[in-house]
Formats: sequence, structure tokens, C-alpha cells
Amino acid sequence: MPRRDSTDTASEPRGSALYEVLKGIDFERRELVDKPRGVGLFDLVKDKGGSYKCYACTLCERTCPVDCIELDYCPEFEELPFDVEAERAAALATLPGESCGANAACVMGEKPAGYAPEIDMKKFDAVIAGIREGSGLVQALHSTQEAYGYLPRVALEDIAGEMHLPLSRIYGVASFYGQFRLVPVGKYVIDVCMGTACHVAGAPLVVEAFSQELEVPVGGTTPDGLFTLQTVNCVGACALAPVVRLGDDETIGRVGPNEARKLVRKLRKAEVPA
Amino acid sequence: MTARRTSKIQRALKAARDTGAYLADDKKTEIRVCAGTACHASGRVALRKAIDKALAERGLSDRVAVVETGCHGFCEEGPIAVVRPQGLFYPRLKPKDVDEIIETSVVSDGIVERLLYKDPATGDPVAHEADIPFYRLQQRVVLALNGKIDPYSIDDYFNHGGYTALAKVLDDGDPMGVIDEVEASGLRGRGGAGFPTGRKWRFCRGNPGDVHYVVCNADEGDPGAFMDRSVLEGNPHSVIEGMTIAAYAIGAQSGPVEGYVYVRHEYPFAVERLRAALAQARERGLLGGDILGSGFSFDIRINQGAGAFVCGESTALTASIEGHRGMPRGKHIRTVAHGLWGQPTNLNNVESYANVPWIINHGAEAFAARGTATSKGTKIFSLTGKVVNGGLIEVPMGATLRHVIFDIGGGMLPGREFKAVQLGGPSGGCLPASLLDDPIDFESLVAAGSMMGSGGMVVVDDSTCMLDFVKFFLKFTAEESCGKCVPCRVGSQRLLEILERISDGEGTLDDLDRLETLSDDIIEGSLCQLGGSAPNPVLSTIRYFREEIEAHITEHRCPARVCRPLIKYTIDPDACTGCHVCLGACPTQAISGERKQVHVIDQKLCIKCDTCRQVCKFDAIPVVDAQPALVEGRQQ
Repeated sequence: MPRRDSTDTASEPRGSALYEVLKGIDFERRELVDKPRGVGLFDLVKDKGGSYKCYACTLCERTCPVDCIELDYCPEFEELPFDVEAERAAALATLPGESCGANAACVMGEKPAGYAPEIDMKKFDAVIAGIREGSGLVQALHSTQEAYGYLPRVALEDIAGEMHLPLSRIYGVASFYGQFRLVPVGKYVIDVCMGTACHVAGAPLVVEAFSQELEVPVGGTTPDGLFTLQTVNCVGACALAPVVRLGDDETIGRVGPNEARKLVRKLRKAEVPA
Repeated sequence: MTARRTSKIQRALKAARDTGAYLADDKKTEIRVCAGTACHASGRVALRKAIDKALAERGLSDRVAVVETGCHGFCEEGPIAVVRPQGLFYPRLKPKDVDEIIETSVVSDGIVERLLYKDPATGDPVAHEADIPFYRLQQRVVLALNGKIDPYSIDDYFNHGGYTALAKVLDDGDPMGVIDEVEASGLRGRGGAGFPTGRKWRFCRGNPGDVHYVVCNADEGDPGAFMDRSVLEGNPHSVIEGMTIAAYAIGAQSGPVEGYVYVRHEYPFAVERLRAALAQARERGLLGGDILGSGFSFDIRINQGAGAFVCGESTALTASIEGHRGMPRGKHIRTVAHGLWGQPTNLNNVESYANVPWIINHGAEAFAARGTATSKGTKIFSLTGKVVNGGLIEVPMGATLRHVIFDIGGGMLPGREFKAVQLGGPSGGCLPASLLDDPIDFESLVAAGSMMGSGGMVVVDDSTCMLDFVKFFLKFTAEESCGKCVPCRVGSQRLLEILERISDGEGTLDDLDRLETLSDDIIEGSLCQLGGSAPNPVLSTIRYFREEIEAHITEHRCPARVCRPLIKYTIDPDACTGCHVCLGACPTQAISGERKQVHVIDQKLCIKCDTCRQVCKFDAIPVVDAQPALVEGRQQ
């Protein structure tokens, strides 16, 4: 629209319908500072079916120049209040385009009980102290995981506050690196080395044996909370391949599928009170 | 003026050295226990306890020192202990052997012949480390002090000429001279790419910035490589000294310099020892403000990785230190100009820095005397896989693969045949037996379709299926791809799917062409070297082991009998004694049979987990082709 000066508004009406509409609008030029931008509430648009169109692609958050949008996430959201797969299937069947089907619950929804379990915040002081000394985000996440065994949501929120970063940025970093865990681990963490030397010595068979014996996939934790099965790229003890690391301290060399099963049985036996 | 400055720095070094309580004494009785990761895993803690107990029982605890050293490099033979001053080398020790050693070699001056290392070729016992072929044929420069010094003791490092190179550099006060010297030595980056180190320093120095960063890349992500870890675990001060010299060369007289070591979190010992070494160096005035009274200030921070292979890439590494996802960026602007926090950054590998003090002390000419025309000095390889003597091997550049694998590494396991050697980790390639006599240097390896990489060398024998081996690397790169470039993220996944199809016996000969075309596209379309080299294992395997892959396609047969859909486990009725061992070990109860009767495997229940074959003491469970009829039919 061409810019009009105030003289235009002062001139006589020309009988245009458009002008009638424009008459009510104040075209007076003013400095922006006098008239602050109206910041309304952001709202998510719903489609005809009543579902949110947003599927949390995080683009708005990443492009916002002043970091005023913050997405929430739900890593410990183990038991969702709805069936994600069914929702997704229903959404895809009825609606064009993509939708996660969860009605953007991660952004807008009510948080269920037990969503962010309480943690012992005393252990967290060291992390905050580290951040103030200038340790980077990755280091802060390391020390958090050292303290709790995983990255609790509450701790990440505090890190976000301390470092003045959006929580999703922290989540992005935490989910990028293979070593960070967002859910608690079992009492025994079994790391099977998947380095080249271990591979040629039969590490895939060992992982499979552990997985069968524990009845969890790689990355899973047994329901009794005793074992977590993980793989690690290389622990650098290639001469002893295949290598299994138990917890942080114990490294066991030359483990075959049979030894793997025996190890699990031995640890299980030790746990059962006699 | 210069003369006064000289003496000042040398006096400061002497003062730093004399602060220590430990004095050099080669005649002192000592037991040096290897505390590298491999020896730790094979039981050095129990060994150490047994030694302490045995010494205490004899009242020798005060007189005989027990020192835990870094990796000796002979990891196959761990846990290792060396009794000094005789220098007796005892491998594969058990706690119950300790009493005998203390009685014979510490209390009196004898040798426990039973426990010595036996030369596999002759069967003769070898008493001294230096006489074992594994060590005798190596030329150790970077690893020279590994296993000889206590990594927790800066005094030990001083006693072996530590920090003299740094003092010399500060004395001369000529940063450009240092760069000239390193450039003249021909030292090239040991991380894999082989960029001349001196030239990199010069570029970095020439780029203006508020602060220059000197970063050490210890994110040794290549599976099967562990030389950086061993250097950091065994001799952390050499890396600190090298970095400080680099910092002086790059930043002195031009502005502040800061240092970072980016080390893998999977290496807890290396981090712990490096942290201790940094604290000691600061305490003695070798790091921090006004180093040795020279007015030059420099300090090093440790930054731990978190299990992302791509962070070995320079731009991803800097992103990770800054606290971002470790995703590389395009390198039209190099890190030497625009690196960490947008400042000029010099990034070298652990091994490159560890070479620097030696170059300064011995001169560029001495360094360049080793190696080939284009690749100078020595290189450490971690030899692993199906060889007799796995471990760390340092040889001059230009040594042949045969020399490393057969002369030093002791060759293949008994009854096995050499098939291939894989160099350079997931970015490298597999070389066949016909290339064993090729020299190892940067150029010849690239020409052969492989690369130097960080120095991982994995040897495989006829029991490894090359297709399965390549699948392993592809799976690795597909998982570790950061996801930024589509050709790498999707392409590596597609490569893997094609390979899986072939190993399931469902591939076609067109798939081989498809693999090659797709590989070229991935190389062309990826920003960083992870994608740019991910297809190398595929291409080199098609180049050298085409027949083996074709056997999967045309004959539905896996020659090494590894690919599961193409094999089955059977019981040899002549060899089976009916001992029930396999029957008890089988996780799916697929084996049946009465005691002392030949057992039978139910092929419907068998999941091909290999457990029965491993537990059988009589080699009675051969693995055969799943469709022998088809193969016979073709042969007729």
C-alpha cells in the first residue's frame, strides 16, 4: 500500500467504498516507541477436526530471534495418557498432512502425576558450581549424569535456568550424544563393546545373548530395575575382545554368549535373598 | 640480556624439578605394574593387592616401591609386571604367582623361568622386555616412556628429560623458529588426514583473533584404535608439554592463548591421569601464568566428549566444546581462522602433540631421518583382531604391513589364514594379502583405497565374512551420522540395507553397481569426512573381495560361514561324544539326545547363536552351508 500523508486524510471524500473503510483508521505517522507492538498471547491453531496442527517441529523456537518461544518435552513420560499409535493412525486416516496425533500434549497438555520425579537437589550444587566456573553444557550434563545416573528433567530445567538457554536446546544436546540417558538405569549397567575387534571376535552374538537372557532390547532396562543393557563403541581393550563393561569400574574380557548368560544368572542369583 | 633470561628459565626449570621428593635411581628395586585399560581388565587390581601383601609379609614395603605405569602396549599378554633394576618382564600374571616372583627376583637375584614370556617362534623364554620380538622390532619415540614412568608422577617425567623442550623453546624466545623447526621435521597430523603440523601452526598464528585456541583432539572414536588413550594414560605430560610448545609458537607475542583437551568420556583412566598431570604441572609453574618465569601464560582445560563419533571432526568438536550438538559445518573457512568461539583455533591429535617435545629436543633432522619421502617420523598402530600379539606398535612410516602384522604382531592365530587388514576405522578400507608388502604411509594407503586414520589396524582371518565386516562399519557410520547432510544420513542407511539384502542371500548382481554409484554420491554430497569416507569400506571391499560378495549373490553361500540365513549348525556324528555340554548351554533347547549318544540339532528351534560351537570341546559342531544341494547342483 502506498504511504499516505496526513494531508490525504484531511481531503474530501471521493465516494470510494474503500475510502469509507479507511476513514476509521488513523494514518497519522508516529514513532514506533510511542506505540509498542501489541504482544498478544500465542495460541496454537486447531484444524477442522479440533486437533492442534502443531506437531512440535521446533522450527518456531529455533527461528525466534529473541528466544521467546520455549517448547517443553517429555522424556520421562513413560505412560502416556493416550495410545500414541492409535491416535497417530486415527489422525493420519482423517486428516491431510502430518500430525503426531498426541494433540501437541508435549506443548500444551496437562502433565500427569509422576511426570517429573523429585530428585535430591543437594547433589546438584556441584553442577551449578561447575557451570559458574565456566564449564560448558556438555560438561554440566556429564556431572548431572554422574550425580543421578541419568538426566532428570528437573535438573535439566535448572541447568536451563542457570545457563539462560531454552530447555529444548538442552534436550537437543542431551539427545544428540550417545552417552546421555534421559531415563533412570538399572542397578547393573551392562555395556557391550561393539568395537571392530570385538565385532570380529563375536560381539553381536554376545549382545544377542544378553538381550535374550534379560528379555530387554539394547538400551532397555529390565522391569525389576536390575539391569540395563547398552552398547558402547569401543572401550579400547581390544586385545581382550569381546569385552563387556559392568558398571563404571569392572571390565570383563573374552566374553562369549555362554559367559554372558552365566554372568546374568550369577548377578541375578546374588540379588535374590537366600 | 638474552643470557640472563636463559639462565632464569633454566633455573626455574631446575627449581620446579627439585621440588619433588622422588629422586632418580636406576638401581632401586621396583616392581612396575602396567595399569593400562587392558591390563586393568585382565586383573591388575588383584595383582597389585597380591604384590602389596607379599611385600608387607616380608617387611619389604619400605624398600621396594610398587609403581603403576601406563600401558606397555603388549595388551595381549596382560597383566604385565616388570621387576627392576634387572628389567625382568613377567606377562600374564596371576596373584598366586606373586610370591614366587618376590622370593626369586626381588629378595634374591634370580629369574622365574616358568613365568617368563615364551617366544612363539622358538618357544624359548625371554627375560627382558627389550629382547622380546614384539618390542625389539619397534622404534618407540612417542611411546618411549610408556611403561617406564609413573603417569601420576611429574618427577618421573622430569627424570627422563621432561619439560626440557619447553624450557628450550622459552629460552630461545623465538616462536617462528619453533614453527620452522616443526615444519622442517615434516611432522604431519596423526589424526588421519596428514596435514603438515607446522604449516597449520603458521596459518593459525597468522590469523588475527582476540584469543588463539590450542585444542588437542583425544576423541579417539575409531573402534579398534587406542593409541591416543595409551599415550594419555601412560605419559600425559608429553602431551601437555607439546601443547604448551604449540601454544607458545602460535600465540606468544600476539595475544592470549588457551588450551583444551577434548577427550572421550569412555576413557576414565586417561581423564583421571590427565587431570592429575595438569594439576602437577600448574603446581610446578609449568602451566598457568608466567610459565617458568618467561612471562608466557597458558592453561589447559579438559572437555569430555559424550559418545559421538562425529565429534572427531574438527568443526563438530568445536561445536561440542561450545555446548552444541556436535554437527560439522562446511569447511570453506578453516578452523585455523574461525574455530572455537569464532577464534583462530589450532587442532591437533594427541600423537602429533606428543611428537613435538622430541622434535624440539632432537632436532628436525633426526625426526625426518625416519620415514619416507612424504611421511616422516614414526606412527603408532593399535594392532588388534585375529593376530597373536595384539597391542600398540610404533614403527617408522614406510614399514610394510607384513612387517607390522607378521614380524612384530606374530602373525595369525594357529591354523588360520590371513584374509584382510582393515586400516583407518570406519573411514578406512580393507586391504588384501596381495598388498601386504606395500609401505604404510599417507599416500600409499589412500592409493590402495584405505587411509591412515588414527592408526587402528584390525586383522581378520578366513573365519570373518567380509560382507559382515563391511556391514558392521556401515551400521556404525549410519548410526553415528549426525544427520545434517542427506546423502550421508539416508545414503549410508540405504547402503546398509543393500548389504543386508545381499547377506540374506537375496541380492542381485545389480546391487553391486548400485552400491558403487550410491557410494560415489555420498562421498560427493557430504560436508564432512564422516560422510566423505563412510563408503570407503564398501568400495575397498568390492574392489578386493568381489568374489566373496558374489558368492552370496549367485551361490547363496557365505564362504566364511557367518551370514546367518546362509548357514546352519550341525553335529558331526563321528566327533560327538554325547557329553551334554552343548545341550545344557543351548538357550532355546534346540539340541536333544541321550547322554553318550550323538546329539541332534532341531533346525526349527536353532537361532544360530554359536553358543554350542563355542562350548563344544570336541569340535563336533561344524557350521555348513544352509543349502548344500543348491551349491552342489551349480558345481555339476
